[in-house]
Amino acid sequence: MKKIKGLGVSVGAFVVAVSANAWAQNGAASSVPASASGASAMVASGAAAPETGRKANRALRRRVYAAISQHREISAGNISVVARDGAVTLNGTVTDATQIDKVAEITKGVPGVTSVTNKLSVQRRPFGSQ
Amino acid sequence: MKLKLSSAAALALFASAVHAQSSVTLYGTIDTGLLYQSTSASTFLPKAPNTGSVFALKDGGIYASNWGLKGTEDIGGGYKVNFKLQGVFNSTNGKFGLSDTPGVTAMFNQYAAVGVSGPFGTVDAGRQIVPMIYAMADTDVRSAQYFGSILTAWLGINQAAGWPGTSTNAPIGALYDSNALVYQSPKFYGASLALEYAPGGVGGQIQGGTRESAVLKYSNYGLNLAAVYYNGHDTNPFPLTYPTAGAAPATGLNNNRFYYLGALYTIGGFSVSASYGLGRNPANTNHVDFEMLSGGLGYKFSSVFKVTSGFYYLKDRNNSANHSSEVALGAEYSLSKTTLTYAQVGYVDNRGTMNQTIIYGSPVAPGVSTTAVMVGIRHSF
Repeated sequence: MKKIKGLGVSVGAFVVAVSANAWAQNGAASSVPASASGASAMVASGAAAPETGRKANRALRRRVYAAISQHREISAGNISVVARDGAVTLNGTVTDATQIDKVAEITKGVPGVTSVTNKLSVQRRPFGSQ
Repeated sequence: MKLKLSSAAALALFASAVHAQSSVTLYGTIDTGLLYQSTSASTFLPKAPNTGSVFALKDGGIYASNWGLKGTEDIGGGYKVNFKLQGVFNSTNGKFGLSDTPGVTAMFNQYAAVGVSGPFGTVDAGRQIVPMIYAMADTDVRSAQYFGSILTAWLGINQAAGWPGTSTNAPIGALYDSNALVYQSPKFYGASLALEYAPGGVGGQIQGGTRESAVLKYSNYGLNLAAVYYNGHDTNPFPLTYPTAGAAPATGLNNNRFYYLGALYTIGGFSVSASYGLGRNPANTNHVDFEMLSGGLGYKFSSVFKVTSGFYYLKDRNNSANHSSEVALGAEYSLSKTTLTYAQVGYVDNRGTMNQTIIYGSPVAPGVSTTAVMVGIRHSF
């Protein structure tokens, strides 16, 4: 009983600590240049200029979705991918904050992607479920 | 904000546990707002009078306030044992939410389930939110929220079918099922399948009180698609005047059937949705046979600000005088990762015996048009 009470106090303290840290919003739109993992892709496809044209944009969009849907925990049905001459803009929602950066990383790793603009935000699961 | 207890803390809490719990999470939400509604009723009875305008502190502008505990234990070989206990409470008065028996609340009315997950998918046993509701939320721009959404539309056909609103045992489809076994498949290229079977546990009646449902979903390329089949026996046994009149005995009567098709597409900041639903009582289609149609449009201005709208139309296939049209518009602004504020407005044009509500838990009188406005705050932990 004493133990449980002690835990309650520490849980309470944790809640306070966590609440204080909760203010930083990291969902703000940010333009992310292709990072180390994307750099090799740039070398592979980017010896020449990035592919252009509507057909190339559509093909790149499909490749990005195919890469995202490899990750079964991510619902690509709520994610918008728009490709324009190698520049990819992500929009829509994911169910968990960690997926925002993960989807951007996956996108950067797709051959032909030269830059990623990340406008994804979190929409929690319906009915307050986790 | 989720609160993760460490294994050590979990051990202290569950001192008798022999194996370490991999993780236990305590979580929840408090959602409170101010509601103005131009008309009201005290019940869903077919002749309930309009009791006038209402100004109230209201729970659940987005979803009901709730809290829960969930845990996962890794048992090796890619398999995990999972549990979830989750229930709603009313943030304005502290009361627990409805169970499947009128007049009886339940602490864990949303989830009281244990199950196993692995490469085959997930199986959960117990009371749970059924797959059809998630499928509807996934294909509604308003996400089956408590204020003006596919949820209030679906509840509208339930009210028309005789649901008194005093238990979660509904005549058409279900939000929660008790005694349910739910299988969720893994995703294959974005496609997945959910199957539900709930044995009724009725003596001498193998079909008594049973439920079975199937949901096929697709989620890829910015597109969500969902198809729902739901069937139930002996549902909504409680008459409008319960407990004065007693509950109908469970005889295995097949009296609850619901079909639904929905789609939602996201492109750039826009999202658009449409759906069709059909709810009927197979044992009494002359009285209970309803259609619902929806359309939705939303725009995300930034990662912290979005606006959603929806249109919901209900129709009685047995009597064209009974129909209902509802529009809802809402704006959500995130103050932080865990707190958002919202403002929403809805209008419903009810005709005949229809009494579709604008917000869950605030009945309107049949055939009376109503406007509602709500502003509120929703904080998750």
